Amino acid sequence: MARNLVGFLVLVLAISICEAASIFQPISESHRSAALELFTPTDGSFGSLEETYEALRTFGILGIQKKPHIGTGSCQSVSETLGSSSSTTKDLFFALKVNSILECKIDEAIFQEITSRLKAVVNDGNSLLDFYYSISSLALIKDQNSKVDVLLGDADGIFRSIKALSQSDGRWRYSSSNPESSTYAAGLALEALAGVMSLASSEIDHSLIDTLKNDIVKLFDSIEKYDDGSFYFDEKLVDAREHHGPLSTTSAVIRGLTAFASLTSGTITLSGNKILGLAKFFLGIGIPGNSKDFFNQIDSLACLESNRISVPLILSLPATVLSLTKKDQLKVKVNTVLGSSAPPLTVKLMQAFISGSKDSSVIESQELGFDPENAVHILDVLPKSVDVGNYIFVFEIVLHDSVDKKIYTTGGQTQVPLFVTGVVKIDNAEIAVLDSDLGSIETQKKIDLAGETSVSLSANHLQKLRLSFQLTTPRGKFFKPHQVFLKLRHETEVEHIFVVGNSGKQFEIILDFLGLVEKFFYLSGRYDIQLTVGDAVMENSILRAVGHVELDLPEAPEKAPRPPARPVDPYSRYGPKAEITHIFRAPEKRPPKELSLAFLGLTLLPFVGFFIGLLRIGVNLKNFPTLAVPATFAILFHLGIAAVILLYVLFWLKWDLFTTLKTLGFLGAFLMFVGHRTLSHLASTSAKLKST
Amino acid sequence: MAKSTSKDAQALFHSLRSAYASTPTNLKIIDLYVGFAVFTALIQVVYMAVVGSFPFNSFLSGLLSCIGTAVLAVCLRIQVNKENKEFKDLAPERAFADFVLCNLVLHLVIMNFLG
Amino acid sequence: MPKLALFLILIHFLPFLCTSFSPENPSSRRVLVLLDDLALKSSHSVYFKSLQSRGFELDFKLADDPKIGLQRYGQYLYDGLILFCPTTERFGGSIDLAAILDFVDSGHDLIIAADNNASDLIREIATECGVDFDEDPAAMVIDHTSYAVSETEGDHTLIASDDFIKSNVLLGSEKIEAPVLFQGIGHSLSPANSLVLKVLSASPSAYSANPKSKLSSPPSLTGSAISLVSILQARNNARILISGSLVMFSNRFFRSGVQKAGTPTKHEKSGNEQFLTELSKWVFHERGHLKAVNIQHHKDGEADEPSMYRINDDLVYSVEIYEWSGRSWEPYVADDVQVQFYMMSPYVLKNLSTDKKGRYFTAFKVPDVYGVFQFKVEYQRLGYTSLSLSKQIPVRPYRHNEYERFIPAAYPYYGAAFSMMAGFFIFTAVHLYNK
Repeated sequence: MARNLVGFLVLVLAISICEAASIFQPISESHRSAALELFTPTDGSFGSLEETYEALRTFGILGIQKKPHIGTGSCQSVSETLGSSSSTTKDLFFALKVNSILECKIDEAIFQEITSRLKAVVNDGNSLLDFYYSISSLALIKDQNSKVDVLLGDADGIFRSIKALSQSDGRWRYSSSNPESSTYAAGLALEALAGVMSLASSEIDHSLIDTLKNDIVKLFDSIEKYDDGSFYFDEKLVDAREHHGPLSTTSAVIRGLTAFASLTSGTITLSGNKILGLAKFFLGIGIPGNSKDFFNQIDSLACLESNRISVPLILSLPATVLSLTKKDQLKVKVNTVLGSSAPPLTVKLMQAFISGSKDSSVIESQELGFDPENAVHILDVLPKSVDVGNYIFVFEIVLHDSVDKKIYTTGGQTQVPLFVTGVVKIDNAEIAVLDSDLGSIETQKKIDLAGETSVSLSANHLQKLRLSFQLTTPRGKFFKPHQVFLKLRHETEVEHIFVVGNSGKQFEIILDFLGLVEKFFYLSGRYDIQLTVGDAVMENSILRAVGHVELDLPEAPEKAPRPPARPVDPYSRYGPKAEITHIFRAPEKRPPKELSLAFLGLTLLPFVGFFIGLLRIGVNLKNFPTLAVPATFAILFHLGIAAVILLYVLFWLKWDLFTTLKTLGFLGAFLMFVGHRTLSHLASTSAKLKST
Repeated sequence: MAKSTSKDAQALFHSLRSAYASTPTNLKIIDLYVGFAVFTALIQVVYMAVVGSFPFNSFLSGLLSCIGTAVLAVCLRIQVNKENKEFKDLAPERAFADFVLCNLVLHLVIMNFLG
Repeated sequence: MPKLALFLILIHFLPFLCTSFSPENPSSRRVLVLLDDLALKSSHSVYFKSLQSRGFELDFKLADDPKIGLQRYGQYLYDGLILFCPTTERFGGSIDLAAILDFVDSGHDLIIAADNNASDLIREIATECGVDFDEDPAAMVIDHTSYAVSETEGDHTLIASDDFIKSNVLLGSEKIEAPVLFQGIGHSLSPANSLVLKVLSASPSAYSANPKSKLSSPPSLTGSAISLVSILQARNNARILISGSLVMFSNRFFRSGVQKAGTPTKHEKSGNEQFLTELSKWVFHERGHLKAVNIQHHKDGEADEPSMYRINDDLVYSVEIYEWSGRSWEPYVADDVQVQFYMMSPYVLKNLSTDKKGRYFTAFKVPDVYGVFQFKVEYQRLGYTSLSLSKQIPVRPYRHNEYERFIPAAYPYYGAAFSMMAGFFIFTAVHLYNK
C-alpha cells in the first residue's frame, strides 16, 4: 500500500514538481466550488447524519454562505435520532455533531436521558470505539446544553482504562481482546482522552498526561515522509477490521492531537517541521474526488490552522514561471493552510541557484518588499545576474514578533523551483552548400529565422550542407536550448533528424552527404529543411521551414536498405471503394431482318429450281403400284415419311426430345413395316420385269 | 490456238452433254437433287459471309443438312447406278431404304441442333 | 430437493449473469478497474462517475490484489478492463499479460493509461496492442511551441493538444473546442499493425525526451509521428484505448482551464472531459457498434430467396443495419455501404441506397459468368465495428431450352433445313416411282 501510494503521489503531486523542492498552495476558491459540487444533497438532505455533518462542517470551515438549504430536514432527523432509544452511540455522536452546527431545538429531557445512557456506556465500556463515541457525545452535550450534568466522576479511572489499550509504540488497540494496534485508533483515543479531560470534574493526574505526551512523541516517530517534505501517518496493518487509508489515518491523528493539545497546559514537544509536513500532505492532495476525503482534508487543515502546538505557515508563489521580457515580478504569498493571512513577517530571498548546479548562488540574499494591499511579498526587479533558465530560489520566513515564533512554524528555508523565461535572439543564421574536398563555398544564403524564409539549394553526394546560427539571451549571454533539431524530409515523407550541436557560441551542423547516402536510402530529390529550436525558458521557440534542397544521390545498389514503410493513412484506408459494374458480353451483331428474309427467299430458290428441274426432266409416277394393297402400303409409306418430317417440325417448334423420340419410335416401327412391304413389292416387280 | 481451245472446249461440252443425255432419268433426278442441296449450301455460306456467324449452331445445322443430304444422295447414286458393278448384288430398293433411314436420322439431328 | 432445484436454476442462469459483450444485447457492463492506489478512485472520480452514470458497474481493485481474476469457471466476470496502474510490475491473482490478451481476444474492451515510469508490463501490453511507448523511462513528451500556458508549470511537458482524429463516431458529433491537456509519455504506432489509430497526435514541434538531461542524439520520437492517445479496434471488434498519460484522466485536468501557447483564447475548461468521455463511449460500444440483420436477396419482382440464380437475372439485395446507441438499436444512416457480388474477385461492387430507416438495398443484373458467387458486405469504416457479411449463392448458365429461339438472323438456315426435308420427301416419291 505504502509503496503504491509513493508511486501515486510521485505521479499526482510531483507532476508539477520537477525538482526536489516543491510548493504547496493553500486552500483556495477552487476548493470552495469543488465542495459545492461534492456535497450536493439529494431531495434536500444528505444520506446520513454523518454525511450531513461532513458537509456542514466543510461548508463552515470554507466559509461558504451559499450552502444548500438542509436545516429543517436535518434537524428533524437529529431529534428523531436523539429521541430514539435504539440509536447507537455512533448515531448519537453524529446527531450531536450536526446539532452543534445547526443548533436545533432539543428537549432538555432528551439530553438528560441520553447523558445517562452514555454515562452507562462510558462506565462499563471496554472497546475504544465505545469510549470514543460516548465520551465525544458527552463533550458535545456539554457544549450544547449547560444545564445537563455531563461531568464524569471517575475521570481518572476512565482515562486509565482508555490508556490501558495503548501500545508501547504510541499506537492503540481497538479493544483489550484485540491485540492488533492501529494508528487510526491512536487518533480516536487521543480525541476520547481529550474529551475525558474536558469532562473531568476534577483535574486529571499530571503523570497520566505526561505519559500520554510521551506516547504522542512515540507515535510521531512512526510518521512517514515523502521526498517533497510532506509527512503522513499510515496504517501498518492492512488486515485491520476496517481499513483506513493514509488520509483518514493522518486526519484522525491530527484531530486527536489538536483536541488533546488544546486542553493541556504544558507544551508538547513536536518539531514544527512535522506539523508543517502534515499540512503539506493535506495540501498536496489537491482536490479529492470524494466527499469523505474532502472532509478529512478540510477538517484536518482546520484543526492545524488553530492548533496549539504550532500553526503552519505556507509559503506559496502565484507564479513560478517568470518572464524577463514582460518584467514579471517575483511574488511570494505567506498564508495559513486555509488561506487566511499570516502575522507580520518578512520574506527573505536567501539564495538562488541554477538547478542542477547547486554550487553557487547567483544572487545575494535580500528581503522582499511587502505589499499590504494584496498581502504579497514582492521582488520588484529580478537581479541582473538572473538570466533565462531554470532556478531554485530559497526563501526564508522571518516573523517579526517573537511571540509569533512560538505559535507559528515556518519550516525554515523553502526551496522553490522557478523558470525564468525570455526572448532569445537568433542571429547570423546561414545555410551553405560546401564542396567536400576543398571546403570551398558553393552557395551561401543568409536566412532570417524569425520571419519567413524559403531558400532553395541543390547539392550532390560529394557536397556538404552547413547550417549555422547564434543564440543569445536577453542578458546578452550565449544560450543553449534543449531542443535544436534539423529535420530533412524527403518527398516520400521519409524523415531524418539531426541534433544541431554547438561549438562555442556558434550552433553549427555540417551534413556530409557522402556519409549519409545510405542513411538517406539513396533517395534523390527534394528534401524540405525544417529547423526546430525550443526550450522551456525560451519564449520564442520556433519551428521553421527553412526551404528545401535538391539532392542528387547515386543510384541505389542492389543490397541497399529499403526506406521504411509509410504508415497507412487512416482516412483513405477506411473510405468506400470505387464501384465496379460487370461488363457483359456484347450481344451479337444482328443483320437487318430484311436481309435475312431476302436470303430466306434465296435459300428456297434452289428448292423451286429442283422442282422445275424435275418437271423438265419429265418425271412421272408411273411406277406407282397399281394393285390396291401395295398402293395402300406405298401411300402409307409416304404418309409415314411425311409424318416423321412433321414430327420433326413439331419437335423444332415446341416438343422436347423425349416426346419426340417416343413418337418417333412408334412411327419408325410403322415406317419399317410399310417401307419393307412397299420396297419388297417394288423389288419383286422390278425382278419380274427383268426376268420377263 | 485460242480458237481451237474454245472449240475443243465446246466440243468437249457437247460430247459430255450428249453422253449425259443417255444417263437414266433415275440418276438424273439424283443429280438434280444433289445440285439442289449444294446450291442451298452455297447460298447459306454466302449469307454467313455477309452477316457473320452469329447463330452458329443454326448455320452449322443448315449447312450440314445440305451437305449431308448431298452426300447421302451421292451414295445412293453410286449404289443404284447399274453401270457400277461393285454394287450389282445390292438391290436398289435396299439402297433406297438405307437412304431413307439415314436421311431421317440426319434430319432428326439437324432439327435438334437447329436451335 | 428444493436446494437442488435452486442450484439447477442458478446453473441455468449462470451464462446470463456473466455474459460478455454480446452483439445482440451489449448492455451488460461490468468493468474491472485496476489501480496502483485506491486514492486514484477519488482523484480521478469525475471520469469514473461519468462511466457509472452511464450504467457501468465499476469494480475497483488494486493491481496487486491477490484475489483479482478476469474469469471464473471459464466465464469472464467483466466486460471491460481499465488499467490505471502504470507502475505495476506484476498483477495480483490470476491476471497476467496472457490473461489480458485472452480477455481482449475474446472481444472485451480495454483502456490502458501509462505514464512516465510506466512498468515493463504495461509497456508489453501496449506493444501487443500495436503501440510502442518511448523506451527511455524518463522520457516525456515535450513541446516548446504548443504547450499549455501555466504560471506554475514551466518545463513544457504539459501539452495542450488539439490535433484530433476527424471522426464523429470516435469523438462525438460535438466539436471539441478546447485543447486537451496531456502530460506523460508518447508512443508510436507499429507500422505492421494497420488497426491502430492515432486519436490525439502531438504537434510537429513535439519530441519525446527526458526534460532534465541534455540531448546528444536525436530522440526516437518526434513531431506528429508521436501519438498521445491511440485506439485500436481488433478484428473481433474488441476496442482498446491507449493513453500515455494517466493524469489526463484526473479531476485536476478535467477541471483545469487551458490556454495553448501562442493563442490568445483561454478556455475555462480543458477538452479532457469531453474528449475522454466521448472516447470512453466509443470504447465501451455505446457508439459505432453496428449489426446487420435481415439480409435478403431475390429476383426482381419475386419475394422468395432462390437457391440459385441464372446468369443475367435481375436481382434485389437488401440488408438492415442498426447502430447500438447505448440503450437501443437505432437505424444506421450512411451513404457508403457497399455490396459485392464476388467470385475470386468482385464482379459487381455497388453502393446501397438507404431508406434512412436502417434498410439498405440495391438491384443489379447477375453477371454473365456462372459459378459459385457470394454476396459480400465488407463494411469497414473508421471507428465503426466492421461488418463482414457473406452469403454464398450459385449462378448457373442458361439451360438448353432457355436460349433465344426463332432468331430472324437464322431464318435462311431454317429455310434451308426445311427445304431439304421437303426436297427429301419429294425425292423419295419421285425416285421410287419414276419410270
